Amino acid sequence: MRFFDSHVHMVSRTTDDYQRMAAAGVTAIVEPSFWQGQPRTEAGTFKDYFNSLIGFERFRASQFGIQHYCTIGLNPKEANNEKLAEAVMELMPLYICKEGVVGIGEIGFDDQTKAEEKYLRRQALLALEADLPIQIHTPHRDKRAGTIRTMDVLEDVGVDPAKVIIDHNNEETVRAVLDRGYWAAFTIYPHTKLGNQRMVEVMMEYGAERIVVDSAADWGISDPLAVPKTAALMKDRGITLEQIEQVTYHNPLAAYGQSGQVSEEDWEGSAGIDPTALFEGNSLLRGGMDVESAMSQYLIE
Amino acid sequence: MRDLLFPILAATAPAPAMTWLGDTVREQESAFQKRPFYYAFSGVSRHFDKRGLIEVSEERSQALDAKVAGFSLEGWDQFRLARVLLLLTLGKQEKTVFLETIAALLDTADLREAAAVYSAFPLLPHQEEFVEASVDGLRSNIVGIFDSIALGNPFPAAHFTAEAWNQMVLKAIFINRPLYRIVGIEERRNPDLSAAVSSLAHERWAAGRTLTPEAWRNCTSPVSDRILTDLEHLLDEGTAADREAAALVIAREEPDRVRHLHEQLEAELDAIAGGSLTWDHLGERLESPIT
Repeated sequence: MRFFDSHVHMVSRTTDDYQRMAAAGVTAIVEPSFWQGQPRTEAGTFKDYFNSLIGFERFRASQFGIQHYCTIGLNPKEANNEKLAEAVMELMPLYICKEGVVGIGEIGFDDQTKAEEKYLRRQALLALEADLPIQIHTPHRDKRAGTIRTMDVLEDVGVDPAKVIIDHNNEETVRAVLDRGYWAAFTIYPHTKLGNQRMVEVMMEYGAERIVVDSAADWGISDPLAVPKTAALMKDRGITLEQIEQVTYHNPLAAYGQSGQVSEEDWEGSAGIDPTALFEGNSLLRGGMDVESAMSQYLIE
Repeated sequence: MRDLLFPILAATAPAPAMTWLGDTVREQESAFQKRPFYYAFSGVSRHFDKRGLIEVSEERSQALDAKVAGFSLEGWDQFRLARVLLLLTLGKQEKTVFLETIAALLDTADLREAAAVYSAFPLLPHQEEFVEASVDGLRSNIVGIFDSIALGNPFPAAHFTAEAWNQMVLKAIFINRPLYRIVGIEERRNPDLSAAVSSLAHERWAAGRTLTPEAWRNCTSPVSDRILTDLEHLLDEGTAADREAAALVIAREEPDRVRHLHEQLEAELDAIAGGSLTWDHLGERLESPIT
């Protein structure tokens, strides 16, 4: 099987992760712009970060046969530093129409401050201007209210819900998000977000339509194999293959495909992974064995 | 230049993309605005075929060369040519705006955009302002970016100091790029570069490795005694292509000084005299896709 992980912060991951992801069937990824664990103090570091998303990280992923796309945005945490935020807003037009930029993201609320709302609105307008999908980060605290408020703001700006992927959903938010016509993404992230058994339960209740599964693997304790592992668990629990493929591949592709910047042709013409051709020795094959043992424990709690 | 490049792009690009480009160029020329220009420059990827390569007829190729000697579209894709056409529009703006916009584009460029900007330099006004950017671009580890400056681009030969030129050529040798595609490779030979090539050869030989035969093209005539010894080494230990390179160097020397080598290189020297062996031929034969 092949997988499309539409939320993963590869700048924080090692080449071992790339090898294991490729071996587990992850074919394409979206790397959202986010904060990097500690606040930035200069707009210039944002520029270099965006440059790495469209440049070196894309190049690095390609060495492992993985197609790398990204979303560009000012994250809600750093939106609270208004001087910095203004400078980043000046930078964004340089990036949002670039090849492989599949949306504005991840944007939304963190503390749900006025400044956060201001930059959510302005970036939603930018998405309308560039005709791009939006990738939404929903807050960890007071999530349900923050999610509803995000949707209110987006609709007030005039954004079409079908072009918005709302991420980090849980059992409390999914109904409202689906009912209002948005894509509902679920992040399988150990300890702090959603375990994959809960994900299976959500699928049992809501089916696969407009549902997306991602890893959001980053600089914390997280799992870049969360998507293939969750697919394995779903199979084990009797969810149909068709539904599994929908939430781990077809839906994210359809949602971000609305950018016109990603399509199956990008990887279908390629010969796929030839571990011996790509690397000296058998490093990818070793990755293959690693992945076998990693995948044998596919529960994420 | 634009009238020449537009039909070349139109020959392979989708018609709606050409319409978009024509409209965009007209709009930007009548009223230049930074943000729409950024959108258009990066947004080329939304209109053109990312796998579409440029094909140039022999006739058009000659017309291009007549306009800007050495300028070549070999290996270009549609994105690059479309972006160069937009940059020509930018060249008509006031100098400060023009330079600021180029700097901003380069500062935030992805790989293909960077290649387009570097490729456009020999066609743009105020070229003296781009020397530093080109020298810096050559520091890239991404071959596509290096090539956009070093190969088929007359900018370095026209503007680089000897020091910058020598660095570029040595790096090209180091990363195995085809030297015959460097514009001015013949004219910009200099004794420092010859000596550096010899040193590099000795380093390689000490490590049991080889050097591309094209490297010896950089030798100035008359060659130093050290290089003369290097050529003898090539005849003893080298490949057939090394021998051809040695012959090409020797053919430029005073016959009396290299008489002792003539005997061993009779066939190669005949080929040179007959015009069937040149540095360009040798380079073309040696060029292979990089691994």
